[in-house]
Amino acid sequence: MNKRLNIIKAFCIDTGIWVYIVFTVNIVLNKISGISHQKTYYEDMPSYLVQGLLIATILFFIKGCSLGKDILKTTLPQSQAYYKRPSTYIMCMVFLLTILSGWYISEFSLNDLFSMDGLEKATRLFSSLFSPNFKVLPKAVSEAIETIYMAFMATFVAIPISFLLSFFAAKNLMSQTISQKIVYNVVRFILNYTRSVEPLIWAIIFIVWVGIGPFAGTLALMLHSVASLTKLYSEQIENMDDGPYEAIKATGAHPILGIWYGVVPQIIIPFLSFTIYRWDINVRMATIIGLVGGGGIGELIIQYTGLSMWNEVGMIIIVLAAIVWSMDYLSSIIRQALK
Amino acid sequence: MPLLKIEKLNKIFPNGYHALKDVSFEVDKGDFLVIIGLSGSGKSTLLRCINRLYEPTSGRVLFLGEDLTKLSGLKLRAMRAKIAMIFQQFNLIPRLSVLHNVLSGALNKKSVLDGLFYRYTPEQKKVALEKIELVGLSHRTYQRADKLSGGQQQRVAIARALMQEPLLLLADEPVSSLDPATSHSIMKYLEQINKELGVTVICNLHFLDLVRRYASRVIALKDGQIIFEGYPRDITDEWFKKIYGEDAIEVKTT
Ligand SMILES: Nc1ncnc2c1ncn2[C@@H]1O[C@H](COP(=O)(O)OP(=O)(O)OP(=O)(O)O)[C@@H](O)[C@H]1O
Ligand SMILES: [Mg+2]
Repeated sequence: MNKRLNIIKAFCIDTGIWVYIVFTVNIVLNKISGISHQKTYYEDMPSYLVQGLLIATILFFIKGCSLGKDILKTTLPQSQAYYKRPSTYIMCMVFLLTILSGWYISEFSLNDLFSMDGLEKATRLFSSLFSPNFKVLPKAVSEAIETIYMAFMATFVAIPISFLLSFFAAKNLMSQTISQKIVYNVVRFILNYTRSVEPLIWAIIFIVWVGIGPFAGTLALMLHSVASLTKLYSEQIENMDDGPYEAIKATGAHPILGIWYGVVPQIIIPFLSFTIYRWDINVRMATIIGLVGGGGIGELIIQYTGLSMWNEVGMIIIVLAAIVWSMDYLSSIIRQALK
Repeated sequence: MPLLKIEKLNKIFPNGYHALKDVSFEVDKGDFLVIIGLSGSGKSTLLRCINRLYEPTSGRVLFLGEDLTKLSGLKLRAMRAKIAMIFQQFNLIPRLSVLHNVLSGALNKKSVLDGLFYRYTPEQKKVALEKIELVGLSHRTYQRADKLSGGQQQRVAIARALMQEPLLLLADEPVSSLDPATSHSIMKYLEQINKELGVTVICNLHFLDLVRRYASRVIALKDGQIIFEGYPRDITDEWFKKIYGEDAIEVKTT
């Protein structure tokens, strides 16, 4: 029974691989022959499917040509060295085809990168960037301060929320009763959903909600920080040593004290160092969020780039570099001290 | 009335493993009961079912005449307060001082708020210092407990257990991660607690010479069942082979 299931699985793997190979070969051929420049990957899928299925079916019965069988080890161990097996060549082919089709799909073009026209523009741009306009320094610094405080507020508000949530998102603490398991899964789902949406998107949502400005940006950062800090925190809780918690539980203390004495002392240092790291990330993200109107120095960048004022942009980049550098330095010092 | 009476205790883990099978025995006040058996025979599981760190699947655990398996919440915690436990891995609270580790044995008498803010009465501090002195660690009172040696950590754990003023002490392989000399010193503390303070002790051990030296009674487990119950002197070579297998040879902790 199990064996039959494995053979079906092997066939599915083979089919998947061959459909993929047909797909990439088509992309490469189309590009070389210059037939089609339109993205019709989805529309062409049925034909790839049929072709892949056909090839997979034929090769499935030829000895040593089925990758699926090799992966699932349904056949006896092969005496052939791995570099002599057809399946090894198929894997190499998949890898090569992925690089080739990737090159075409992402429109890699050395011509564009090194065209005279392009190089000339780039030279002009860089020379402006490297001769910054110091007149905008006061403005840049003011906006930078806004960015740093946005990041700080977002982190600060996220800490207690994540701290509380992390206990509900830790599997080892939440696997006793059914209701615990439900809470665990709901919390996890919401967090994963929140985290998978980029802060940039959240910023756009909050701009609609509370209007353009730093508050929208802060909210976006906060939400994302809560989601990622909770995940980091709860993983730390899951990896902790249960011993001290059990020891306190065994004394007959209240469960909250069990957590306070048995769990918190173990996780407090990693928590702090994650948090500082997060603040660091938030400063960088706050810059990006400014680009869509979430306040701070990002807003300045988008203004000046829109007007092609590259000397001014050059100034801002220097300010940003200074911030990033000092944040790096600060956070590494603090984390070192915490050890 | 015996202090502790176990009746037909069964433990089946969620994965279906039947770790304890109809285990029944009694422990009288003042006993030093040692549980022996091969690794995996269910010794830790048995101890943990007594204070409900593990939930027994069926059976009764009568402590002071009350069935612990029926209790929950406040009542369970009140009973746990009378049963202290020490562990192979010591399980001290990292980053806290020796004093605060010992004080944590009194958390069962604290409100949540007092506990959260580490508020202890002067009386409790005095008792804690006494217990620390009893295990000979006065010169380490304010040091971090997790920086001490294994033997010293186990002594802190014993002091924490004593802080509970327990009637019963459960010791799960208290000396398995210590060297022979330190093992004896820890066992002597347990003996002292048993003889002088009158605390009943149930202890898991691996080395038979320790069993012969310290136990007043012995129970042997095999595959979750009691196969021997008696006095240390009754463990003959024949029994030894039954408990540990035909090929086993007795090793000594000098
Ligand atoms: N949480 C668990 N889930 C499933 N099985 C478990 C669990 N804990 C222990 N067991 C199993 O129960 C059996 C008894 O384990 P237990 O830890 O009580 O043995 P032990 O006698 O204390 O052994 P050792 O001397 O190695 O500590 C083992 O076979 C173990 O695999
Ligand atoms: Mg054990």
